Amino acid sequence: MTNAHVNKLDNEALSALLDGEQSLHDDVIAQQNVDTFGRYALIGDAMRAQKNNNDIAIDISQNIALAIDKEPVYADFTNNSDTIDKPVTQQDNVVAFNWRKPVAQLAIAASVAMFAIVGVNTLPQGNGEQESEIPQLQSTPLTGVASPVSLSTEPALENAQKGLRELQQQRIGALVLEHQRQARVAHSLATAQTEANDDEEKN
Amino acid sequence: MKVKTFILSLVLSTSAYANDVTPAKDLMLKMADAVHSRNFDASFVVVKGNSMEPYRWLHAKQGDTELEHLSLLNGAGLEMVRIDNQVTYFEPQSAPYSIQTDAIAGPFPEVLFKNIESLTPQYDFVLGGKGRIAGRAAQLVRIESKDEHKYNYWVWIDMESHLILKSAYVNHQGEAIEQLQLTHISVSEKPAAMLVDMLKKEFPTPLPNSIEQSDHVTTANWKMGWLPQGFKLLKADRHKLNLNNELTDYFLLSDGFVEISVFVQRPLAGGALSGALNSGASTVYVHKGNNFDVSVVGNIPSLTAKTIAESVTPAL
Repeated sequence: MTNAHVNKLDNEALSALLDGEQSLHDDVIAQQNVDTFGRYALIGDAMRAQKNNNDIAIDISQNIALAIDKEPVYADFTNNSDTIDKPVTQQDNVVAFNWRKPVAQLAIAASVAMFAIVGVNTLPQGNGEQESEIPQLQSTPLTGVASPVSLSTEPALENAQKGLRELQQQRIGALVLEHQRQARVAHSLATAQTEANDDEEKN
Repeated sequence: MKVKTFILSLVLSTSAYANDVTPAKDLMLKMADAVHSRNFDASFVVVKGNSMEPYRWLHAKQGDTELEHLSLLNGAGLEMVRIDNQVTYFEPQSAPYSIQTDAIAGPFPEVLFKNIESLTPQYDFVLGGKGRIAGRAAQLVRIESKDEHKYNYWVWIDMESHLILKSAYVNHQGEAIEQLQLTHISVSEKPAAMLVDMLKKEFPTPLPNSIEQSDHVTTANWKMGWLPQGFKLLKADRHKLNLNNELTDYFLLSDGFVEISVFVQRPLAGGALSGALNSGASTVYVHKGNNFDVSVVGNIPSLTAKTIAESVTPAL
């Protein structure tokens, strides 16, 4: 379906409505809304994703296209409840990532419990100071809060972004834990270095 | 006459300045001594933004042996035990292990209870106001970074017992970004029975501690273009991360007060985003390089972490 065709359909229906040629049944209005908002949300999502996450869009564009093709929801808007439910159930099948290892996730959970840096919301620092210019990563709570709009319109993209976020979050968790561990030897290393330097100076 | 007054005032002001600095250091050393010699049982909380971590902290001096026990009370927990020069860490997801060192790396910077004289090139010690903390009269000592690349650290010390009552990482706008506050402390004549019991327990043998921790291949691979004044490389190697088995080139740096870790890794599939993540004073900055990712972790301002991360380049 081309854009022009869509617009034409829209206009026809709209003008029919406005001209009083079509009666204003509730279900007509409902369908009109679902149709329009669904499409707007889809366009908006795609554009936002393009703008902010070039890499993601390039990498999975094939998957998005496939997913959209396979998605029965977009073709059939007669059943409203389906448009919300279906993508949720299909989510995990759309983009398959092989990094989903439950053991690693458990370990992350443990590290989160300990250090509370990953998965805790990050507040923008300071007001008007230098630091506010620094991009702040948005970490997501582990329990996963779904945003209904993007869930119902763009499961593939949403899933890929979530995957990347989780992957990065997992790495950050690993880095924080490693830093914590390495810092434990820092004091003794520093002491040893100072002693070694003192010895050299004496000799 | 005027000149004389001027000289006199100059002499007075410099001596006043000198007097102002020495008591601060003196008080810090007294605190270090008190923390190492007294028998006490304390509870404190660490507040980082919206999260809060409660700890219990016990210390005893049994004869010539120092005993210390620090434990995180929330979540999966974390137990740290020190017997003189051996510190053992008990963590939820790995086997306990010991390190040959004379300070626990926990919520307090290790140097705090050591000879803080080594910090003089990078930090100023300033006596602040007096106040009431945890129900006791306290004196504030501000450890102020000489440049804006590190946080300041403020310590409130009990004027009577010289034990620490509160501390905070403070940014250069004067806002406390991470605070540690004692909620209770009791000092006793005798060591706590729980600590004395520790002497009977067996702990893992400490890992071998070699001075030559740096692996020259790793050091030669990357060039760090910028570091804040006073930071020295303590360690450099290539190893796998514990949690996700990712290979990393690793650098550990310290200025004697805070530690910084620098990780250079293969880029994430799909591309990670550059940016900072903060929790209290802890900062993680992830920088996406051309064909490598640099991450900097430590108790430093985001801007410092960002500058360090962006200055890392391949050596060749």
